[in-house]
Amino acid sequence: MHEQDRALSLAESVLTAAKAADQAQVTVTITDASYARFARSYVTQNLESQQTNISLTYYIGKKAGTVNSADASPDGIARLVAKAKEIAQRVPPDNDFVSLPKPQEPPAAVPSFFASTSDATPDDRVEKLLPVFARMKRSNLYCSGFTTTQTQTLAIANSLGVRVAYTGTNGGIQVKAMAPQTSGYAEAYALDYSTIDTEPIAERAAMKATVSSTPADFAPGRYTVVMEPSAFQSAVKALLEGIDASNVLDEKDSWMIGRLGKPILSPNFTLRSDWSNPQLANPPFDPSDGSPVKKFTFIDKGVPLAYSASTYMSNKFHVPATGVANSMVIDPGTKSYDDLIGSVERGVLISRTWYERVVDPRQAAITGLTRDGVYAIENGKLTKALKNFRYFVSMVEVMKDVEFSNRATLCEPEDDLGYQCVLPDAKIANFNLAAQTSFA
Amino acid sequence: MASYASAAARILDSATKAGANYADVQFWTIRSENLFVRNGDVQDASDSRSLGYAVRALVDGSWGFYGSDRMTDEDFDRAAVAATVIARSGTKVVDRIPAITPTQKTVATWETPFTRDPASVSLGERANHLLAVEKSMHVAKNVIAGYAFMNVWTTGKEFYSTNGSAIVQTIRQAGAGCGATAIGKDQDAQSRGGPGDFGLYQGGGYEVIEAADLATIAPEYGREAVILADAPALPSGVRDLILDGTVLNLQMHESIGHPLELDRSLGWEANFSGISWVTPDKVGKARYGSDLLNIYCDNSMAGGMATVGYDDEAVKPERVPLIENGILRAFLSSRDTAAQVGLPQTASTRAQDWGSVPMVRMTNIALAPHEGTLDSIVADTKDGVLVSGMRSWSIDDHRLNFQFGPQIGYEIKDGKRGKIFKQPTYTGITPQFWGSLDRVGGPSEFRVWGTPNCGKGEPEQSGRTTHACSVARFKDVKVGVKADA
Repeated sequence: MHEQDRALSLAESVLTAAKAADQAQVTVTITDASYARFARSYVTQNLESQQTNISLTYYIGKKAGTVNSADASPDGIARLVAKAKEIAQRVPPDNDFVSLPKPQEPPAAVPSFFASTSDATPDDRVEKLLPVFARMKRSNLYCSGFTTTQTQTLAIANSLGVRVAYTGTNGGIQVKAMAPQTSGYAEAYALDYSTIDTEPIAERAAMKATVSSTPADFAPGRYTVVMEPSAFQSAVKALLEGIDASNVLDEKDSWMIGRLGKPILSPNFTLRSDWSNPQLANPPFDPSDGSPVKKFTFIDKGVPLAYSASTYMSNKFHVPATGVANSMVIDPGTKSYDDLIGSVERGVLISRTWYERVVDPRQAAITGLTRDGVYAIENGKLTKALKNFRYFVSMVEVMKDVEFSNRATLCEPEDDLGYQCVLPDAKIANFNLAAQTSFA
Repeated sequence: MASYASAAARILDSATKAGANYADVQFWTIRSENLFVRNGDVQDASDSRSLGYAVRALVDGSWGFYGSDRMTDEDFDRAAVAATVIARSGTKVVDRIPAITPTQKTVATWETPFTRDPASVSLGERANHLLAVEKSMHVAKNVIAGYAFMNVWTTGKEFYSTNGSAIVQTIRQAGAGCGATAIGKDQDAQSRGGPGDFGLYQGGGYEVIEAADLATIAPEYGREAVILADAPALPSGVRDLILDGTVLNLQMHESIGHPLELDRSLGWEANFSGISWVTPDKVGKARYGSDLLNIYCDNSMAGGMATVGYDDEAVKPERVPLIENGILRAFLSSRDTAAQVGLPQTASTRAQDWGSVPMVRMTNIALAPHEGTLDSIVADTKDGVLVSGMRSWSIDDHRLNFQFGPQIGYEIKDGKRGKIFKQPTYTGITPQFWGSLDRVGGPSEFRVWGTPNCGKGEPEQSGRTTHACSVARFKDVKVGVKADA
């Protein structure tokens, strides 16, 4: 792993230069990300970006200064250290800080690097798209979306002896097929780009865009909905945003408060943090400080059991450190996707949602809108495309009655929230579709 | 900023030799100074610097982009060739609308005006200011958390093109804010903070931090958080709704700024940011709102977060009317998008940084002031709700159906403020909502509000935007919407 060695070596050089600090942590990230974006069935943005970032946090007692830079030259490292030290000397202390983590042997990482992804060329990416454009043309559709290949290396070293590094790849495609009044969406993500077959993705998006040519009205109200993984990931965010010690103990704005240990959710619902899930393959250490990430269960058969805690929160509140939970896995059920839909007498299939916002974190109340394919399910079959809905639900309430499909799908990384999910499709009862829009 | 003219010449030469019909390169030096205090502790004191360059190459009407922070001659050559190879790969798609080739040559320098150099304020002084602000919000025992922050951003850009353009700019932006969380008798946690949806963000130097006036507003935020923690939720109903500037500016951002991005209207953002309910064929015809709705784009506006001498494809900004007396007039545009539909360019092409592709962004928009003040509009309201501060917001991908959740609602009865409500949510449909606009405040309360983190694009880029406004009133709005699950 050439880039891992480079990143660790760089971190070591910075740490050596910062040896006068009481404690110090260096984080080096090297990222290479490529995207071919398309709209109206041609490539509109075609890009690659290569970035290195060196972050040093320099501690003098409880006072800390953090400086980021990409300059790995000896002069650049000297400037980085001097600036971080200067900040640490000048700012008041962070009294909640106790210590950086001490070295602990992290578990062995699972395979996460695939040359087929890291070595993909611009032509490789565009050639993945040509069958997608051809499929759209056959049905007089346009499409919009992107395909991406990414490689990221992360190395962390601290003055107490932590030395960890990781390299992972990720590839993906999103396709939104667009008819004049309707649309359909499909996506696929994989660590190994060569395993992504774009023809079935295009077929699925095109099929959904042509279920019917005109979106129908459907009275707002409470329905049984089937949320495909992309949509479900967005809704379940209302729960995921409240499962850290920072929410439960510090901000006190978590739905978990007063509900730990109580059977308040469906016994079908188990949520785990599992960095070793082979579809995710995240690093076995906390990307914020290099401490080992524990595998643990947040919700076991409907009972909220535990919350995550970083080293910082663990020290502050004297609770066990778990590391940041960035690998969310919901246990699948037993029914196939088709059987899940087949079990709905009258309901709604939701492919994807948009602009979700947690309105009341204590109730995990979230609002958002459906997009890119919402359909009526009648007597177990998709019967027509519908205009979009605004939903507004308490996930604590609606997850009392949920059933999952047997397929576990890797979803688009939630980069801004810092986690990835592997989720099944979810059939949720009493889901409040509060209002309908005028379009699909 | 050091001059990168010779490195740029090498890159442009390499791109031309690799087959580019046109190329440009922009070097960026980015400095980000951030300070965040919480509950008496300095939790983040950071100073980040980044140097890199963005190469754009055009081959047969297809753009390629390569961003890098590797700075040897070999790296420059590699980046130039890579951008050209990427551009060429797009030509494999036969059915496409070719991009136009830039032709103008511009040589210029520009710098954001400022009155107080941030370098004149020590880190210790900044930290002590924020700690004092944060402390002043703890007005009662049930204030469980307080925070205060400031950001100072300085960005140097050097743009060079194969047309001979050479543009050197220094862009300064800053912002500050604070907030408090209190817990009520039923353990409900409520927050109050600002100013603005995130803080006060403007183009300029340390004077922006001073203009946020955190020391004055912080104790009031603490007091209001305490009241909110035990306040009732706003009852459901249809009421007249007054938005102060802290809410109105985000309402403009979501339901006017975004739908008027021309790339979105043309479908280029359909998979992520979405499309728009207005299209170029509706220019001059579509009624966006009442006669009081006058919106313009001005990327040379004093204090604007998006104020520049030239945008990231070397276009000089001018003031462009977007909506006049409620009628759609133009869109926020780039060179390519404007050319496709024959509308004016608004110099609204921006990239987040050297690693990000430039694209159409919401830049500086403004709601032209009309008459009156917040107090006079309140006095003129018989039965309504005044809302302030932002907690949650959501709008569909056509930018029509929205639901906003401000922090605090003040009942208005017979022209006077009454009860305080938590969760004063409201919902509406864009043209109907703006059609119900019946009061717009005057110039005395017109303020340049900014947002530091507007998301758009794949990969997502964070943009810095401005939505200048005063205050406004809307008739018969659905308020107090509930999850009801």
